[in-house]
Amino acid sequence: MIKQNNILFTTDSSRLFLPWMSMLMGFIAVLILAAGITSYRSITDWQRVVSGSLTVQIPTYTGSGESRAERVGKDIETALTILRSSPGVQGATVLSDNQMAELMNPWLSDDMVVSELPLPKLIDVVVDSNEYPDIAQLKMDLSSQVPSAVLDSHRMRLEPLLKLASGGIKLISFILILLALTAAFTVIYATRTSLMAHEHIISLIHMMGANDWFIIRKYAVRHFVLTFMGAFFGFLLSLPIMAGISFLIRGATLDFIWNSALGLPEWIALLSVSVVLAALAFLTTCKTVSDYLKRFL
Amino acid sequence: MAVQTKLNSPIAEFNGVSFRYDKGPDILKDIQFTLAPGSFHFMTGESGAGKTSLLSLLYLYHLPTKGRVRLFGYAVDEMTRREKAHLRRQIGVVFQDFRLLNHLTAFDNVALPLRIAGVKESEIRRHVSELLVWVGLEDRMKTLPPELSGGEQQRVAIARAVINRPNLLLADEPTGNVDDAMAKRLLHLFLELNKLGTTVVIATHNEGLIRHFGFPRLHLEKGHLSVIPQNQYKEMASKLFNRGGSQ
Repeated sequence: MIKQNNILFTTDSSRLFLPWMSMLMGFIAVLILAAGITSYRSITDWQRVVSGSLTVQIPTYTGSGESRAERVGKDIETALTILRSSPGVQGATVLSDNQMAELMNPWLSDDMVVSELPLPKLIDVVVDSNEYPDIAQLKMDLSSQVPSAVLDSHRMRLEPLLKLASGGIKLISFILILLALTAAFTVIYATRTSLMAHEHIISLIHMMGANDWFIIRKYAVRHFVLTFMGAFFGFLLSLPIMAGISFLIRGATLDFIWNSALGLPEWIALLSVSVVLAALAFLTTCKTVSDYLKRFL
Repeated sequence: MAVQTKLNSPIAEFNGVSFRYDKGPDILKDIQFTLAPGSFHFMTGESGAGKTSLLSLLYLYHLPTKGRVRLFGYAVDEMTRREKAHLRRQIGVVFQDFRLLNHLTAFDNVALPLRIAGVKESEIRRHVSELLVWVGLEDRMKTLPPELSGGEQQRVAIARAVINRPNLLLADEPTGNVDDAMAKRLLHLFLELNKLGTTVVIATHNEGLIRHFGFPRLHLEKGHLSVIPQNQYKEMASKLFNRGGSQ
């Protein structure tokens, strides 16, 4: 006995065409989405790291130890007063010698050496990420009273990179929309081809009293399954590619810049590409078949 | 919404119906007739007289170019698509070219109307098997139509048309490819259905059958329809054959 869905379908090109095209589109969409997810996460990480803090350097001076320490201490006090009174600054603290030694440890290792070197004093400034301080004004205020102070805003240095990355995310979104449109057109083409190939069958079962949904459902379910299978296989094919890229990033020790690791929500998002493509195929098929059936009374 | 046959309504009513394909000439001209519930008619006429077109109006494949068709009491031009689909399930059609689906076995071809109507598989198996036995195809159930002879294909087509006990059965030359014995056997099947209440219209050129059963005729000539009642036809035939015009 025949399966219910085979009432309508003999072998036609859409049976092969649709899974292959879905596989290709699923493969590309998963890779692009993975790139988008990791880009977004890396940007978020960078923003989190840089948006909350500034650093001010107060250089040491040559000269006798006492006068040098006095001048540096005076400069630090002045700088702290300016910083704490500036809008958008939540707090400013001078890094202790121990903290400096800890900071320099990867390069110099010996605490004694750190204390002997004429390293600048660092002031860690905590800023309000919602009301970021006016950096240009702050620089001007500092330089007017502590000319040797250097304000270091990581945000300013990362700004072009952030712009580039968010531009990349917009481009990725655009490509994903293009892919969805391509998928929809592919389904429309496959559906119309199949409808033409099966016109005599559709006409017959329509005359026997099959309502529109009977025919639409058979096409839509078939195309949902074929697209899902193809797209899921595309997802499987993308796994070794993603693993390879991740391996290369880690091998080049770029993982502190580009966070390529994916968590459970990200994997669910990538898996959902197959479902989204299949749902798109389902809806597109429903509309295409429904329009086609209007030619019958 | 399921469409129920309106009580005491004629099965079909044609009022001033004309029909043509696109911008071609009128194939049917000012057709006027009524099919009473439970009636049995032969439809006759030369090739090209419009028999197939008239049948296509009856099984809702076309709408008339002019005039109004009512089926089971409903004006077909006022029905929704869903209502038309429900109405079609009450009409069985035997096509001249059979229109069997070559990728389905004889069994599955006959089961098609039941599957469309959503009948349970267990019932489908029982009914279809019984009917295929009745039309003498018990050993051909799993055969695909291209492997069946013309006569066997015709019987499958007839079984498919009657499997869901339609209220209206339309047949276009249903006995064209079978011998006289099988033709009579098939006509008896139609008669059995007719006794159960099915209205039957059979387009045929088989004068032997028309004479044998003697039902009234819907006669088409150059697109015009005339209804020849049973008695009148029998008289005409009797006169014709008494003059020695045996056919």
